[in-house]
Amino acid sequence: MYGAVAQSAFQTQLAYRSQLWAHIFGQFIQVFFKIAIWQSVFGSLAQVDGVSLPQMITYAVLAGTVLSAWEWARLIQGIDVAISTGDIAVFLLKPLHYPLYLLASECGNLCFRVVAIVVPIVLTVALSYGLLPPASLLHGAAFLVFWALSFLIQFLLSLLFGLLAFWLMTAFSLEWLLQGLLALLSGSFVPLWFFPDSVTALVRHLPFAWIGFYPVAVYLGKLTPPQVFAYLALGVVWAAILGSGVLVLWRRATLRITVQGG
Amino acid sequence: MAGAIGFMIRLQIKTRVQYRVAFLLNRLAQIIAYASAFSAIWVLIHKFETLAGWRWPELALLLSFQLLGYGVGAALSFTQMRDLEDSVRSGRFDTLLVKPFSPWAYLVFSGLNLGYIGHIVLAVGMLVWSLSAVAIDWTVFRVSYALAALASSAALVCSMLTMIGACAFVLTRSRYLYSIFFGLWELTRYPLNLFPAPLQWLLLTALPMGFMNYVPVAYLLGKPIVVVGELGGVLAPLAGPLLVGLAVLQWRYCIRRYQGAGG
Repeated sequence: MYGAVAQSAFQTQLAYRSQLWAHIFGQFIQVFFKIAIWQSVFGSLAQVDGVSLPQMITYAVLAGTVLSAWEWARLIQGIDVAISTGDIAVFLLKPLHYPLYLLASECGNLCFRVVAIVVPIVLTVALSYGLLPPASLLHGAAFLVFWALSFLIQFLLSLLFGLLAFWLMTAFSLEWLLQGLLALLSGSFVPLWFFPDSVTALVRHLPFAWIGFYPVAVYLGKLTPPQVFAYLALGVVWAAILGSGVLVLWRRATLRITVQGG
Repeated sequence: MAGAIGFMIRLQIKTRVQYRVAFLLNRLAQIIAYASAFSAIWVLIHKFETLAGWRWPELALLLSFQLLGYGVGAALSFTQMRDLEDSVRSGRFDTLLVKPFSPWAYLVFSGLNLGYIGHIVLAVGMLVWSLSAVAIDWTVFRVSYALAALASSAALVCSMLTMIGACAFVLTRSRYLYSIFFGLWELTRYPLNLFPAPLQWLLLTALPMGFMNYVPVAYLLGKPIVVVGELGGVLAPLAGPLLVGLAVLQWRYCIRRYQGAGG
């Protein structure tokens, strides 16, 4: 049943074609302007902190496009609409678990965006600027696992923020707050290598780091195999913490719906 | 008409005051979001010292011009024009056409978005700080130039967002065009000399966003200006009024061609 939900989400996206074209255009601009920035700051430097320009171009594509392909803001907006219209109550009548239903539907959305946006951009950049292959077979395989974990953590964070709207009654501020946290702390734009020493210890251990930074660091071989497994384990711990947060909030939220219904 | 506009603005303020806590929380969240995005640029500069020859205080001035111009310009256009396609499709817009009041003024002022106060607060703070940290030899000309450039920046944003919205009269849809606008708008956080030449040309001719902040700020700081040169720098404050004129013509043209969304 959840498979059907994912499939239907995939097909719904096909219906909004002009929006899709605008989005693809925007994503292309994004990736090329990030590449322009790295080309400009690297200038004639061969390496900065042990990172080279070709590595940064690969970083920009992986962190900025591949790992950011999923539209987390749409999830928060969707929950907001479901709460304010009362549609959320309908899900309680159905024989499914609302958070799982959302996960299935967002998997469908992610697949669509990988096909429609990620593949064309990766191919274009690979042909025009060149992309580095993963550091080794192990690092490449680990990247795929880290990618799945990155999506799961993004999903759980957005769901957590979205469910908070039950109490705040406005998802607007939650969406902006998460946007700010992701822009700075996920490493989707500026990798955490370049952060000032005074804050690196902190930002490298927040869950946001597993969204953009660690998957690419693994891909580029910046982590030794034992480190790869250690950080994978830490990321799974964060996902588990966020997942339990979601379950607790969802249980409380369902109680609130009953109370409001009278 | 001025009385009616004043009344609409008072109504907006009253509505917002009703939900004071939510309003303040939303502004706080927006300030944090922008501050975070700017911090990422700060981290970059902290590591590499300059970005395309610009130091942090200079870049902060560029960012504050961008955010202030956008905050004021978008308060007078963005949400109103983004939602215009809905009122065109539902037919609600047609009721404005029979009112003895300019439909544009009604849309803009009845929907005046006071939420942009968060943008303005952050932008003014950055503006004051960056002006104290950069070396500009202030003369009467430069002060009036800076003020005119800020006003032009707001006018530029307002007219571009309005022109996109007016497309709804002809296309019945315009919302997706805003994502193109914002994709390019993000580029104006950086000095344009950072980008490849085709992009510089695009942002200084067909979509003249470069005049919002890059051209006037580079001129004030005495930096070389790409594509339009120093003469373009002097004339930058005219870009806003020019685009307002274009937007007025386009709005009138679209309204004349407007036949409603139905058949």
